[in-house]
Amino acid sequence: MRITAPQVRVGLVLALLVAAHFVVRPRLGDPRFAPDFILVALLFLATRVRPMAGTIAGFLVGLVTDAVAPTAFGSAAVALTVVGYLSGWLKAVAFADNLLVNALFVFVAAWARDAIEVLVAHQLQGGALGWQLLALSPLAAASTAAAAAVTLLLFRGWLRQSAA
Amino acid sequence: MAPGSDRYASRADTAAFLICLVLSLVALALPAGLKEPIAGALRRTVLLPVLAVQRQAVASTAARERLAKVRFERDSLVLETTFLPELRAENDRLRALLGLAGRLGHGFATAEVLHQAGVADGLTLVLSAGSEEGVEQFAPVVAAGGVLGLVRTVDPHSSVALAWTHPDFRASAMVEGTAVYGIVRARRGERSGELMELIGVPYREQLVPGARVVTSGLGEVFPRGIPLGTVQGIMTEATGWERTYVLQPVVHPSETAHVIILSPARAADTLQAAFGATHPAPDSVLLVHDSAGVRIVRPPPPQRRWPRQTAPPLQQTAPTVPPAGAVPQLRR
Repeated sequence: MRITAPQVRVGLVLALLVAAHFVVRPRLGDPRFAPDFILVALLFLATRVRPMAGTIAGFLVGLVTDAVAPTAFGSAAVALTVVGYLSGWLKAVAFADNLLVNALFVFVAAWARDAIEVLVAHQLQGGALGWQLLALSPLAAASTAAAAAVTLLLFRGWLRQSAA
Repeated sequence: MAPGSDRYASRADTAAFLICLVLSLVALALPAGLKEPIAGALRRTVLLPVLAVQRQAVASTAARERLAKVRFERDSLVLETTFLPELRAENDRLRALLGLAGRLGHGFATAEVLHQAGVADGLTLVLSAGSEEGVEQFAPVVAAGGVLGLVRTVDPHSSVALAWTHPDFRASAMVEGTAVYGIVRARRGERSGELMELIGVPYREQLVPGARVVTSGLGEVFPRGIPLGTVQGIMTEATGWERTYVLQPVVHPSETAHVIILSPARAADTLQAAFGATHPAPDSVLLVHDSAGVRIVRPPPPQRRWPRQTAPPLQQTAPTVPPAGAVPQLRR
């Protein structure tokens, strides 16, 4: 398989997002609300490849994420597998190259990831669950969506669909 | 993310999804004895470089914050020494020097908290110190204010701590200066944020709001006298049996950037003096620095707020008193 220049550019953006997760994110204040650049990279990838690749990428990223929270090992893998698969599948349902639509997509994906993860991990109940899903997760999802929008603005030329 | 082509999920895509989903569920259902070796292997291989990068980023951020704080403190001190007596400025500098690490003296390692994305952060914390720095499993993790959690798993250069917010966390506790004992655990989501609860308090004991709850030293995990929280009020009571109290924690995991990991060998110590006890133990001493110089005094006996109980004599380890002018040595 021949790697094209547009694919290299997309790969560079994804690598930048992964680096930003570990270098920039710790400087962005409260970790509960800081954007999840890894999730943005996963969504950008999943919407540019077949659902199978998005699924596998989601599973692997989830497994690595679980490694830093071993008491709920597997919960992030379940969440990101589902998000990776659905993102790849939803791509077939054409949505416009619109910044707002894309940001909304990332917001929903981030919130869904948190919801699946917290429900599968089964570590929060009652008011704590509501607090997490209705307050903390939406705020974190909003910051992640904002990070995705900024990335799209900065690298719009490199991230066009034709580039994939 | 532009619209895709006409690719719909094929059978192969669906099969891959189902396989990954089943593998994830298998990982979730694994016993703890298998989960932690796998997670540890991932942390020691795939995550090792990224955690190192993150550690550097956190350290540089902390350095910037410390620089700003030092500048602020320096400016404040300059201002204060202009208007206040020299003795007060001297006391402020001494207080800054004699931080928690200095009061603890020995048997600890310092670490940064490497916060991660996702809902698990705040329940478990990745710390930047591991077995190479002397960290051991079940070592107590404390911040300047009090208990943060305990170490769950240890890798060579990092470790994972179970924060007090985790549903599995428990700590044997006592109300400072009394013989009222109970168990502290997390109570999340109610009111505005995370709270603790003190369970198993005998029904005959009534705690007043504001009473400080500290570790009791029972169980040989946490040393005695580390603050956990302050009593806010009664949450539930089983008539004639026990009461449960809501506590305002002194430390919040999500807001903590630097921690001290105590050696498990210090589990038998009493650290009341290191955390600024409001009710000093009967045999504790205080370091007083005034115009007469530095001297060691015994405090007056505390007033009993619960006259029916008397505090058992604490096995107080007298704090190491550094000589005047000595700077505490931080151990890494």
